[in-house]
Amino acid sequence: MMKSTEVLTLEQVSKSFPATLRGGEPIQILEGVTLSLNRSTSIAITGRSGSGKSTLLQVSAGLLSADSGSIRFEGKEIPKLDDEHLSRLRSRSMGFIFQSSLLLDDFTALENVQISAMIAGFSEKEASRKALEMLELVGMQDRLSHTSDQLSGGERQRVAIARALVNEPSLIFADEPTGSLDERNAALVEDLLFSLVAEREVALMLITHNLPFAKRCNTVYQLHNRIVEVRS
Amino acid sequence: MKQALLRLLVLRKLGYKGSRAAKKRILFNLILITLVVSALVFAQVFVVSMSRGIADKYALLGNGHLQIHEGSMLAVPEKEGVLDIQLVAQSYALIYSPEGNKMVRLKGVEAEYFNDLRTSQITLQEGIPKESTTLEQVLLSTTLARELQVGIGDRVALMLVGESGIRPQFCVVGNLYDSGYQELDANLAFCDYDLIHRLFKGSEETYYELLVEPERIESLKQDYKVEGYTVTSWDEENFTIATNLNTSRQAVLGVMVAVAMLCGYFISELSRELVEDDKHQIAMLTLLGARHSLVRSVYFYTVMMVTVLSILGGTLLGILMSSNLSPILSMVADRSIPSLSYYLLEFNVVYPLGDILFIVLVLLLVSVLSVQFSLRRVKRIEPLSCTHFD
Repeated sequence: MMKSTEVLTLEQVSKSFPATLRGGEPIQILEGVTLSLNRSTSIAITGRSGSGKSTLLQVSAGLLSADSGSIRFEGKEIPKLDDEHLSRLRSRSMGFIFQSSLLLDDFTALENVQISAMIAGFSEKEASRKALEMLELVGMQDRLSHTSDQLSGGERQRVAIARALVNEPSLIFADEPTGSLDERNAALVEDLLFSLVAEREVALMLITHNLPFAKRCNTVYQLHNRIVEVRS
Repeated sequence: MKQALLRLLVLRKLGYKGSRAAKKRILFNLILITLVVSALVFAQVFVVSMSRGIADKYALLGNGHLQIHEGSMLAVPEKEGVLDIQLVAQSYALIYSPEGNKMVRLKGVEAEYFNDLRTSQITLQEGIPKESTTLEQVLLSTTLARELQVGIGDRVALMLVGESGIRPQFCVVGNLYDSGYQELDANLAFCDYDLIHRLFKGSEETYYELLVEPERIESLKQDYKVEGYTVTSWDEENFTIATNLNTSRQAVLGVMVAVAMLCGYFISELSRELVEDDKHQIAMLTLLGARHSLVRSVYFYTVMMVTVLSILGGTLLGILMSSNLSPILSMVADRSIPSLSYYLLEFNVVYPLGDILFIVLVLLLVSVLSVQFSLRRVKRIEPLSCTHFD
């Protein structure tokens, strides 16, 4: 069966945070954000530090709740999903890559990717096979049994990419994935990310303030004064 | 599929292929709980064995398991489970020595009274031959002899209260016994069955003492009752002591259960500590789509594995320590430490499996409940919080 092309749709999404612990006027972060993302397409969200780029990603992925507006992921209203359905959606249809690779410390590279597949419901054997395949794709076949602290920053990020893609998700949320890497490693990770996203027909929401990196996406949005607009 | 994931995560939490710190933490808790459980098991075995030992002394030397109060009027039929029947006469007398006096319970018994069952409960010294004196002989305990400052071959006087007033009966200390329980020994003296009759002239109490298989005390008592005999059991004859022993046993069991409950609560601290240290990993797993129930199960099974292993190890260690209790206690008893004089220090070790099982079940139940309660905190860890550790 063909998967629906529309992956993520945001309509009039607003988000604010309380000003202080004692209350006061809330700080508005997003206001009436509307955007959509189809399969095999990529968007980049750029903006100054503190402009709300990461908040937009977190709201889109259901990690933060929006104050108002509609967020649909593969046709499902994310705010209406309960813990079970949201967990299932995260494990099977979403992939996450953050600035810090966020690997499980005591686990090897292979296990980090394998666990993600097992959470999605694959058997231990199948998960291991898929993890091995993904780690080969990102060039980490020689580092399978290395734990997080035995890998370099670039290698950890490649494992994180393998983990994000192992369950063949519809959408990858990437929040400054090259932010903590040197130029050489950043370029390597960028290339890897875009080639795998294109090859696997996955949608990509990229948060970055690195403009050349952002421009590799199909559409670049600028988040400014709580509003998202297409960057010319 | 989830089982395989659960197994992988639990094994890692237990320290398998884990970091040295993780292994040390699990090992520390494993040892700590094992030691607490072994102490609980050991204490329970000790208390129950000692109270059973005391009960045995009272039953075998004091009154027999059962007493039939028809005296010598009726012959008592033997039944299956009855090990020994002895006709006994008893009364109370003041015993005097040049150095002291004491009111004692004087039991008149036949020569066969001290059969293997009873002699197994006492230590008898080398007494004087019966024909070596014309005076009547009494068997005193070493405790009583120490109080009266007499030894084997010394003279004592029994002060008998009769219609014609108080008159003394001189006797010689024929031998000394020691049951190991001074509380009983201090008030119990033996003499010939005939002597009691001659001295007390019918004011003594005569009854049959029956030794029976302990598990058949109640059924045999009923059988004799049905046949018209007036039967009492040792605990009815020594009501205060039996009640005290029972109450002490229950009180100690209560204390053990309370300690087990505290230990169960301590176990929940382990789960709290694990969750607190693993917040980042938990957030990471939930971000990857793991449900809170799976994460809770990981920590629940990890802690319960530690608990079950500790309980098994602790129970075995407690039993092992108890099985070596007798030689240590004999050594302590030989030193005659005054503060331990009212404790029975030589007894057969019995394993109260019911009590041990009860303590273990309480510990398990409290652990399960407190760990489940403590793991509610897993739900409060948001997937997003893993990014806060950047």
